[in-house]
Amino acid sequence: MTSLLNDLIDNNESEQFGILDEYSKREIRRAVLTAVAVPGYQVPFGSREMPVARGWGSGGLQITLAVIGHNDVIKVIDQGDDQGVNAVNLRRLIVQSTKVSETTTAAKSSIVQSRHRIPEDGLDQRHILVLQVPVPEPLRGVERDMRELARMHAEADYSKMWVSLYEDKVRNGVITQTTGYPCLVNDRYVIATTPIPRWDIPKLDHSPFLTLFGAGREKRIYAVPPFTKVEPLTFEDVPFEVEKTEGATCSQCGSNSSFLVEIPGAQSRWVCSDTDWCERNLEGNL
Amino acid sequence: MGYAAARGGLDAIEAAENLVRRKRLNADCDWVTPDQIVGRFRLAVDRVMGEAGLWEEELAAIAIRQAEGDLIEAVHLLRSYRSTLPRFAYSEVTDADELRVIRRIVPAFRNPPGPQLLGRTSDYTGRLLELSSEVAGQEEAQLLASLALTQEQHPSQPSGDQQQQQPRRLLETLREMDLMVDRRRLDDPEPFDITRTPARPPASRSARLSSMSRAETGALVNQWYRNILGPDGYLHEVTLGEVRHGYLPLRIVHPITGNPVAIGNIRVTEVEAIEDLNGIEEERDRFDVGYGICLGHNEKKAIAMANLDIACHRDNGRSQIEQSLLLTTDGLDSSGFLEHLKLPHYVTFRSMMERKNAVRQARKNGQPK
Repeated sequence: MTSLLNDLIDNNESEQFGILDEYSKREIRRAVLTAVAVPGYQVPFGSREMPVARGWGSGGLQITLAVIGHNDVIKVIDQGDDQGVNAVNLRRLIVQSTKVSETTTAAKSSIVQSRHRIPEDGLDQRHILVLQVPVPEPLRGVERDMRELARMHAEADYSKMWVSLYEDKVRNGVITQTTGYPCLVNDRYVIATTPIPRWDIPKLDHSPFLTLFGAGREKRIYAVPPFTKVEPLTFEDVPFEVEKTEGATCSQCGSNSSFLVEIPGAQSRWVCSDTDWCERNLEGNL
Repeated sequence: MGYAAARGGLDAIEAAENLVRRKRLNADCDWVTPDQIVGRFRLAVDRVMGEAGLWEEELAAIAIRQAEGDLIEAVHLLRSYRSTLPRFAYSEVTDADELRVIRRIVPAFRNPPGPQLLGRTSDYTGRLLELSSEVAGQEEAQLLASLALTQEQHPSQPSGDQQQQQPRRLLETLREMDLMVDRRRLDDPEPFDITRTPARPPASRSARLSSMSRAETGALVNQWYRNILGPDGYLHEVTLGEVRHGYLPLRIVHPITGNPVAIGNIRVTEVEAIEDLNGIEEERDRFDVGYGICLGHNEKKAIAMANLDIACHRDNGRSQIEQSLLLTTDGLDSSGFLEHLKLPHYVTFRSMMERKNAVRQARKNGQPK
């Protein structure tokens, strides 16, 4: 223990980098490495309490602070918007505690922390995408007992999920699952895709970038490593559908090839949810 | 950076922060010091320390003040402060029999071994709002101070004999009468550390106990009550064998000498709940016991914990009471997730609206229903 105490004295001399103490960061990195090694498997970790509330990105924040280094460039978005209030708050915490530089353009970043979206463009092998996860368990809608859930994942027994999708299709004519669409990763584990829209699901499949999912409240980390198969659960004769509204185009940049959100009114308008992409599109800088 | 300001997000947040800060620091009344909060809001301070899992009265008081009295928020401040601190030592095991009581009651017997010591409780005081004038209150305070009645005995200077300070447990008497199921284990497993490993069912008893010990008080009381009266689960009401409040010594191994050294005392509330085993396959001629302990003076919590401990043991995985205890009683988890609903959700909502239209379209096209 003496040497441990000496280590700590050394640590205290340098300014603390990134809120968490070094032992916590090591623990989170180990969980991340396990997650990368077993794609889609939910790795338990001793989630720390963060200066943001649980449910507000505490899991994503822990991952970001555990993997970030002095040379990283951070982009933080919420709903695709760099200026969403919680994105601003998280970015401020990250930047203040690590002094890394920030950007709004995915291509110029090295780490993107996001809630509910994957940026429209710019992510490649250099990037880590950190997604904030409210509910990491994809099967919770069909099973409540955690012991049974553990068994189902261990045995890749996803029959209840398939039945639920089938019933949905039969009753409603379509699969009504909205965001966080369940996907099979690497032909093995079903994951909850945070709640990113279905629009973003194809971006995960064989993506060049590493995606890390952090659920702080539920104390789970999982990953989709680069170039990994991510397959939305659906039937051979029921094609997977992304969000689409006929005739909708962004009222600012005119795009009909990005994920659009509605601004309701007498005459509804649509705008890109990825605000940085929208501005670059408007400037002709894509 | 200029970009951020141009969009206004950061400005709005900072304006909100400044408003909170200004109104808090500049409230139109006297300044409150941490020692006033410790001295006058003892139970709030104890509750916050217990739910934070951090024994430090002054920090708890500062947190309560900063959180403007929102105790769950105060707990959050302390817990996230803890996250910045490396853990550099573990305390030695303290035997709960070392507890030096300042309050101890045994509802199960009129004259139990050892004292019935009411101590500092308002259990038997009529709940009448004291509307005497501020002046009268302060005069009374001065009178009491001159009589030195408010001075609580310092824990380092105990008085009374051993049996008064560290009374024998009722449990020991019941064991001697061969009325208890003996579940004491001979091995000495490491306790489960809920701050380093998430506790999930099926969990060890130490994982359940430490989860409850740090749980939000209201959540634990509710968990207890919903199993008494709620639609699911059935919780058998216990008889309390011990309700104790007192001081426990804390020792760590000295990093240089290697010898255990006392570094102070913590106050805890400890409860033993005697359970009348009435199940078909249980030992009908014996009792069992549930255990509750938490930092500070918080009897509601320790009692709920003791009853839920034995209920969980008797349930033996049949219902989901263990999952409820482990997963739903943390104040930061529940209130954080509840409040996250205030965050923007327009991406998910857009996706939901799109599916509503898709269902309508499918119906129009003559698909099922």
